[in-house]
Amino acid sequence: MAKSGNEYRLLMPLIPALLVVPALAIAEFDSVDAAFLIVLAPLVAFPIILISGQLKNGEKAWKEGLKEGGTLALSALLVSLTTALWIIVDYLRGAREISEEVGERVATTWGDWISFDVLLSDYTMSSERVIGVGVWVDSVTLMLLFVATFLCFLICWFSLGYMNTDPINENRNHRFYAEFVLFAMGMFGMVLADNFLWLFIFWEIMGLCSYLLIGFYFWKESAAYAAKKAFLTTRVGDVFLMIGLLILYDIYGSLEFSVIFEDPSLNGSVDTDKLFWALLMLFVGAVGKSAQFPLHVWLPDAMEGPTPVSALIHAATMVNAGLYLVARMVPFVDVGHHGVAGLEDLGLIVAYIGGITAFMAASIAFVQNDIKKVLAYSTMSQLAYIFTGLGVSLWFYNHGNADAAALVFGGSMFHLFNHAMAKGMLFMASGSVIHEVHHAHDHLHHGSEHGHHDFDPQDMRNMGGLASKMPVTSAAMMIGSMSIIGIPLIGGFWSKEAIVAKTWKASLDYEPLMLGPAVLVLLTAGMTGFYMSRMWFMTFAGEPKSEVVDHVHEETPWIKEPLVILSVISALGGFGLSVLGVVKWLAKPYKDDIGIQKESVFDQVIYELEHAFLPEDPNLRIVGWTTIFLSLVVGPIIAARVHGGSLRAGQSSNPMVSWLVWISGRFGSQDMSEMADSSLSEALRHRLYFDHYYEKALGMTAIPLASFAAWFDRNVIDGIVKQVESSSVLGSVQIRRATTGRARDYIMMTAVGMISIFALAWGVSG
Amino acid sequence: MSSELAGMPTELLLPEIIMLVGLVALIIVPNLGDARFRIPLTSFRVPVLLGGSRFGIARDPRLPNWITIGTLLASLAAAQMGLLSPSDWSGEVGNALVVDEFSILLSNIFISVLFLCAIAATHRIPADPGAEAPTEDDDEESGARKTDALFDNRRQVDFHILLLTTGLGMSLMAKSTHLFMLFVCMELASLSSYVLVGFHKESVEGGEAGTKYFVVGSVASAIGIYGMSLLYLWNGDLSVSGLSDSWRSMDGLDPLATAGVGMMLVAFGFKVGAAPFHLAIPDAYSGASSIVAGMLATASKAMGFVALFKVMIIVSMPESGESFWFVAMAAISLITMTWGNLAALSSDNPKRVLAYSSVAHAGYMLAAVAAIGSGLAGPEAKALIVTAVLFHLSVLVVFKLGAFLVLSSLETEGGSHRMQGLNGLARRDPILAGSMFVFMLSLAGVPPFSGFLSKLLMINGIVTVSAGTGGASSIVSWATSVEPVFWLAVAVVLNSALSLFYYLRMGLVMFFEEPEGEGDLICNTPLRAFIIALSALSLAFGIGPGSEFLVDIAHGAAEALLP
Repeated sequence: MAKSGNEYRLLMPLIPALLVVPALAIAEFDSVDAAFLIVLAPLVAFPIILISGQLKNGEKAWKEGLKEGGTLALSALLVSLTTALWIIVDYLRGAREISEEVGERVATTWGDWISFDVLLSDYTMSSERVIGVGVWVDSVTLMLLFVATFLCFLICWFSLGYMNTDPINENRNHRFYAEFVLFAMGMFGMVLADNFLWLFIFWEIMGLCSYLLIGFYFWKESAAYAAKKAFLTTRVGDVFLMIGLLILYDIYGSLEFSVIFEDPSLNGSVDTDKLFWALLMLFVGAVGKSAQFPLHVWLPDAMEGPTPVSALIHAATMVNAGLYLVARMVPFVDVGHHGVAGLEDLGLIVAYIGGITAFMAASIAFVQNDIKKVLAYSTMSQLAYIFTGLGVSLWFYNHGNADAAALVFGGSMFHLFNHAMAKGMLFMASGSVIHEVHHAHDHLHHGSEHGHHDFDPQDMRNMGGLASKMPVTSAAMMIGSMSIIGIPLIGGFWSKEAIVAKTWKASLDYEPLMLGPAVLVLLTAGMTGFYMSRMWFMTFAGEPKSEVVDHVHEETPWIKEPLVILSVISALGGFGLSVLGVVKWLAKPYKDDIGIQKESVFDQVIYELEHAFLPEDPNLRIVGWTTIFLSLVVGPIIAARVHGGSLRAGQSSNPMVSWLVWISGRFGSQDMSEMADSSLSEALRHRLYFDHYYEKALGMTAIPLASFAAWFDRNVIDGIVKQVESSSVLGSVQIRRATTGRARDYIMMTAVGMISIFALAWGVSG
Repeated sequence: MSSELAGMPTELLLPEIIMLVGLVALIIVPNLGDARFRIPLTSFRVPVLLGGSRFGIARDPRLPNWITIGTLLASLAAAQMGLLSPSDWSGEVGNALVVDEFSILLSNIFISVLFLCAIAATHRIPADPGAEAPTEDDDEESGARKTDALFDNRRQVDFHILLLTTGLGMSLMAKSTHLFMLFVCMELASLSSYVLVGFHKESVEGGEAGTKYFVVGSVASAIGIYGMSLLYLWNGDLSVSGLSDSWRSMDGLDPLATAGVGMMLVAFGFKVGAAPFHLAIPDAYSGASSIVAGMLATASKAMGFVALFKVMIIVSMPESGESFWFVAMAAISLITMTWGNLAALSSDNPKRVLAYSSVAHAGYMLAAVAAIGSGLAGPEAKALIVTAVLFHLSVLVVFKLGAFLVLSSLETEGGSHRMQGLNGLARRDPILAGSMFVFMLSLAGVPPFSGFLSKLLMINGIVTVSAGTGGASSIVSWATSVEPVFWLAVAVVLNSALSLFYYLRMGLVMFFEEPEGEGDLICNTPLRAFIIALSALSLAFGIGPGSEFLVDIAHGAAEALLP
């Protein structure tokens, strides 16, 4: 496994990919017009990897030179990443130079994709453009585009190490990379789409790829089941999404953003109830895609896929699609900008779903022992935070308080960014742990089947004390967890603070009903502190819990670089970007007149700190400090009491994490086994029985229907087809008797034919 | 003779002239040798070049194939020039030939078919310069193999001369405006193709198929010539325009004229493979080598349709109203397509399946011709239908011939007579199997392949003709009042559905059965490259700019044909 450092010469194919953007820039292409490259590059890479993989499988050059397509995928993603960066830089530069009203949104339309000729009532035709091909770029697009392209690239890089060194993937990796780039294409396309139909199409492509990648180990029954479950559950949401889109089309006669967002209220004539239902349907679609209550059941099972897939699809990118869709609802409700009044309930529903999911997922995460499942529930919980924030933001927009709405909207989007970076990295770090533990286990029992089946490399009860073995991974995981918990000054703190504070503000100052989500997200903050710390302590601190740990080495190539890069971003990105005013920038498309920039960077830093720790509103000050207290003190300390502990004597760890290991050993230990046996704990372990009841409900409704459909198809439809076929074959045998093979019969038939022609000609005409 | 040629724009016949030159070269070049003629009473020996011991290059058995490929390539290039700038390449040549967009398109079809046949012949009838006579040491099998190789070397010239005469006859036939000229050219091509069908006379099927095809074909030709003589008796002139004028000014229906046209329908019906004159066709296709069968299914069929167009649509269409042959043609087309598809269903010989499929396709096109005969079509609808048929004839070259070329590569290992020969082809040669599958889908008319577009155009043409007929108060009343032509379109659709059974069966055995033979399929590189190109073209002509390009050409040709 441990290859020499010149593995990196394999990056040679990336050089041409790096040159694409400079070449286009020199050719004076417009960066927005080059946006199609972001989608095109992975789309082209997909068949190339798939087909050459089929043809070249097993050949040395393909396997070692091209990493079974991995470097090809990486090149394609590099093209996407550089193009995206080019657009972002251009946009940021343009935003400063170009006048304000132009600079905020860039929509480029390249042509018609579908246009209908519509028959008007006076029997004339009018050609109506329905769906065009183009891109829609604003600050939300750019943020998601950066997240998607950047993380796709890093996770693909990680996969070169993770996938290609696992013998189980031998000669199958081209499938992985092909599906990976196809997924990337779907994500990029969805983010860039300039109308809801394209958004939906790319959304479905992602769903397909998610299905394929979860089922990558399809011979494992659990993986095949999980893939089906993910596909079908999100499909439920997608049906609603489609209905929502149809209603929208019915209202506006178009699905183009530029047409709909021009004036969503249609000069005040829009049917509010109809629009409410349309948006609610869209939200159900988003709930399915982003794994929120009650369509959350698929996400934990989706962890059956390879870890890079969990990192990419089920933490960093695809699950954000639902959030993106909800973020796109803002123009509908923004009463300051042609929005439709009277949609406050929508915001309330979104916030409630978010709050419930956040709390529920965090509590289930308490009892998980599978390292990836903890992260999966954490993902659900954090996405729910963002939904809560967006719900509050929608409510504020509809209430007419655009300032507060913009701040919480920006904060939610910013949390999306922080969470994607941290969670993508956490999954990769967990992948690193799993990979090395698995490898160590194989090494220990090399070849022998002994203990192979009952050993689970993902179970944290087999770990412990890994801080001494995996310095980079343990540090990365620590920083990622801190960002997710919201430790002050680090990563997610900056965004989570805004969501919690604004939710409370809404409930205290305006709408008492908002108290529900507000309490839930506050509690969840403390719970996050517990389960993330628990995961870290169980994995890295304390005494080793199995003999395997002693044989773990952190030496697989390609794995550390993404961890280091993302650690830096997670640690510093939150603070740095908030100082740069990213929250207001993200909210800008809907709100132009805020964005007070301080005189100097220092003033700005002070302002941000003041804003975060000492807000003027006393209520918010209390809420803010409660959050910090819960997440920083209560959660982690309980976790340390239960699961913490010093390393085994003589083992030392990376100085970046050794302090934490040391602290975790100071709180003594507490036996929680009694609580672990409680019936609540049992219920949580069974994921609150959601899966059980869903399956029961399906067994009573869908399955009888499906059986009937199958019977109908087999007997009636196939029966008819078979009947036609068999009678045709009978006729065929009869008719072929005429082909006797004797020339005189043929001549006879010719004569008969000629006479018939005469008879017919004269009989009819004469 | 030469003085008469002066002043005629003979350069318009460049493709045919090239073929003629190639033909002469094909006769002379392999005979070049060092023979000398001693002038009597002196000791001077004048080299006469013909005979003696042949030069090294002239002795090479691959030479005829090279000459033919070169000739056809040059001829194709000349014909392509006409395609690209039709206005520079149009005009009348003498009294019997005209070069216009129609004849240019047809020439292109014919010549490209023969070119592909010549390419495939390098594989099917290989010439081996190193072939030796069997010796005492050979056992029976290797001796027979060596004899075969020698035999193949010997008959290279024969095969390629016949290819070129076929091409010459067809290409000139498309250009003729005089029925006599048309018939002579057609017979030149037909007689050559009879011999080609029976070319493998060492096999029982080959010889029998050739004889049968010749006998039945002669009867059909005789009937046709008799019909033509009746026409001559009626009009005293066999030029197409003259006949057409007389037909329009005819008072009622003249028995001589109608009988003449009816008999010619028999002759051309045989050429296109219309029921019940098609019976010899499956025998001929399965007895002939796949290359020749492919040629018959594409070029020869196109030739029949050219004749049908000229005699049926140009000559014997009245000014307005239904033509006398409409019902007969509609009946023939119905019987033809149904018979072809039904018979193909239970056939176990891929070549026979393709032969019956070819019959069915003739039925579809005859249905389109019948729609013109209904007299309901205005000039635009007529052009639409002829465009559809011409487009179909053009794309048949791509997928029908392509399918036969794949079979021809199977034929060298003896596997083209049984469906089992195709078993597991996908595993042995995924590219050829993939191409074959594309051809099958295209033949079945599955979008986005060109077979779909051509079928769509034909159905569209037929439906356009019947559009607006039928009252829409209820389905029953509509169904009884709609023009009968409409049911031809329905028949085409139903038959297409039926045909899927056997087209997909070919795909099924290729992909899901265990292969019989071991090892890779032997197929030489140029043939393989052309098969791949043809499968790409069946997609390119089915969708996007490629299809628009070809439809435009076919439309131009249709407008040039129709008065």
